[in-house]
Amino acid sequence: MIWFSLLVLIPLAAIVVKATGGGWSTFESVLTNENTRAALTLTVVSSLIITAINMVMGTIIAWVLVRDRFWGKALLDLIIDVPFAMPTIVAGLTLLSLYGPQSPIGVEINGTRWSVLLAIAFVTLPFVVRTVQPVLEELETDVEDAAASLGATRFTTFRRVVLPALVPAIFAGAALSFARGISEYGALVLISGNLPRRTEVVSVRLFSFLEGGNTQSAAAVATIMLLVALLAIVSLDIIQRRVARRG
Amino acid sequence: MSIEIKGVNKSFGDFVALDDVNVSLPTGQLTALLGPSGGGKSTLLRIIAGLDSADSGTVTIEGTEATHLPPQKRNVGFVFQHYAVFKHMTVAKNVAFGLEIRKRPKAEVAEKVDELLRLVHLQQFAHRLPSQLSGGQRQRMALARALAVEPTVLLLDEPFGALDAKVRKELRDWLRRLHDEVHVTTVFVTHDQEEAMEVADEIVVINNGRVEQVGTPDQLYDEPANDFVMGFLGETTKLGGTVLRPHDVHLSLRPQVPGAHEGTVARVLRVGFEVRVFVLTDDGDEVTVTLTRTQARQLGLEQDTRVWVSAVAGATTVDPVAAVV
Ligand SMILES: Nc1ncnc2c1ncn2[C@@H]1O[C@H](COP(=O)(O)OP(=O)(O)OP(=O)(O)O)[C@@H](O)[C@H]1O
Ligand SMILES: [Mg+2]
Repeated sequence: MIWFSLLVLIPLAAIVVKATGGGWSTFESVLTNENTRAALTLTVVSSLIITAINMVMGTIIAWVLVRDRFWGKALLDLIIDVPFAMPTIVAGLTLLSLYGPQSPIGVEINGTRWSVLLAIAFVTLPFVVRTVQPVLEELETDVEDAAASLGATRFTTFRRVVLPALVPAIFAGAALSFARGISEYGALVLISGNLPRRTEVVSVRLFSFLEGGNTQSAAAVATIMLLVALLAIVSLDIIQRRVARRG
Repeated sequence: MSIEIKGVNKSFGDFVALDDVNVSLPTGQLTALLGPSGGGKSTLLRIIAGLDSADSGTVTIEGTEATHLPPQKRNVGFVFQHYAVFKHMTVAKNVAFGLEIRKRPKAEVAEKVDELLRLVHLQQFAHRLPSQLSGGQRQRMALARALAVEPTVLLLDEPFGALDAKVRKELRDWLRRLHDEVHVTTVFVTHDQEEAMEVADEIVVINNGRVEQVGTPDQLYDEPANDFVMGFLGETTKLGGTVLRPHDVHLSLRPQVPGAHEGTVARVLRVGFEVRVFVLTDDGDEVTVTLTRTQARQLGLEQDTRVWVSAVAGATTVDPVAAVV
């Protein structure tokens, strides 16, 4: 357990040390750089939007997968995992060939912010579905029957009985989805076009710092992202506790 | 009649779970649905509650045709074997659920919840979560929750099935007392004949999706309609082609009554206060006889003792051939 923690903590610490090595000025220069700021904002905002969408859509998909019976259900269940399973650069290629120039479905969004949203959505959709699904499977239908015989409509039953039981799972999935969203590289790099201040995301920005040999700035950006991720996980946890208590 | 079930059929795929069930359950009584596992008891109860729908037939609750009413509109209280508690709500919130949905004023809800928690002896646990209660307490909470909406009928599906024998017995006595206090028409499912005999005013015996017999505990015990009912309500043994209870067999060391069957004692088994004697008659029957310890000692029974066995006068007997439908 200790070894495992060290395995994770040492590289993280190294990054923070590297970033702070140059003092506050490194952070300042990174943060005052328009391009970096734009990339940070774009990444965080897009990930937030997609995470919010995932929380709703993921729960609905999980619900359908667990409670409904329809033709092709097993196939859908399998397809959900595809973004997990494929190397992200392959996901990027797939997206590019689907939504890029000469799109076979007539949707050309490469180089726009839509492409950023789409790519993030593509790779993060499974998280909420896969965290909610097992909880929903464990939830006895008796509980829903009990609510129904007490006079609750299906909607009330969902809101007051089912949803509260799912909240921890939804938020856990959301944290994973957000963390994955802000760190995505492979799926984005091809389709987004990496236009500075328009579609360039943090990971791409970071990579260009590294290419330019500016490791200190790269470490500074990494540290900021680390803080953003921590902040997100902590606040999701706080919201989750609030919601759960209100039940 | 509070609940009228007419010609109800229900199949799951090819499997017939209920086969032309007709029952009337009287108002204000405590009725037991008794039968072996898989007999269709839960299915029937769920159809009454509207949680499942019958393939054909009708359900009338307190004069209202309810066959196609959704569960929300039937005003039945349902208690599940595995409690079905709302885990994230406190005990008080669980009980208040039905009332809050009906948008009753807060003060009224609080008062009613308080009254119900007192009724089920849980007033000091109002602010606990269900996970902090024992199984028996959880089930009492579920009962209070069901009673909160003042249901026309209360349905309990093996309410004590998940509890240990001692708590089970306590709760069943308590349910009987509660029913005498509240007087709501109650139907409870059990596969425990002792539970049904002790608690119920009336028993409906269900087997293989069919109603075998309806009657008071005494009627069922004294006049079983067939050997299934007889066998389900207590031990039986066979003597000269009839089925009867082991304690209705008379055993003596010399022929006393005409028509007694002669045989030898194969085994003597002491179980608590009673003694079970297995007699092999010369006609080839293996008859079980129960005696008290005193009787057995007086007779001095041992293996290979020659004995004569016969049905006592007024014994409950069923002819198994006639009972085969
Ligand atoms: N949803 C279902 N799908 C398929 N078969 C079912 C379903 N529900 C019940 N059955 C079958 O119907 C039969 C009657 O079931 P039911 O639950 O009513 O029995 P029961 O008398 O309540 O038994 P137990 O005492 O074990 O609870 C069983 O053989 C069961 O397998
Ligand atoms: Mg059952």
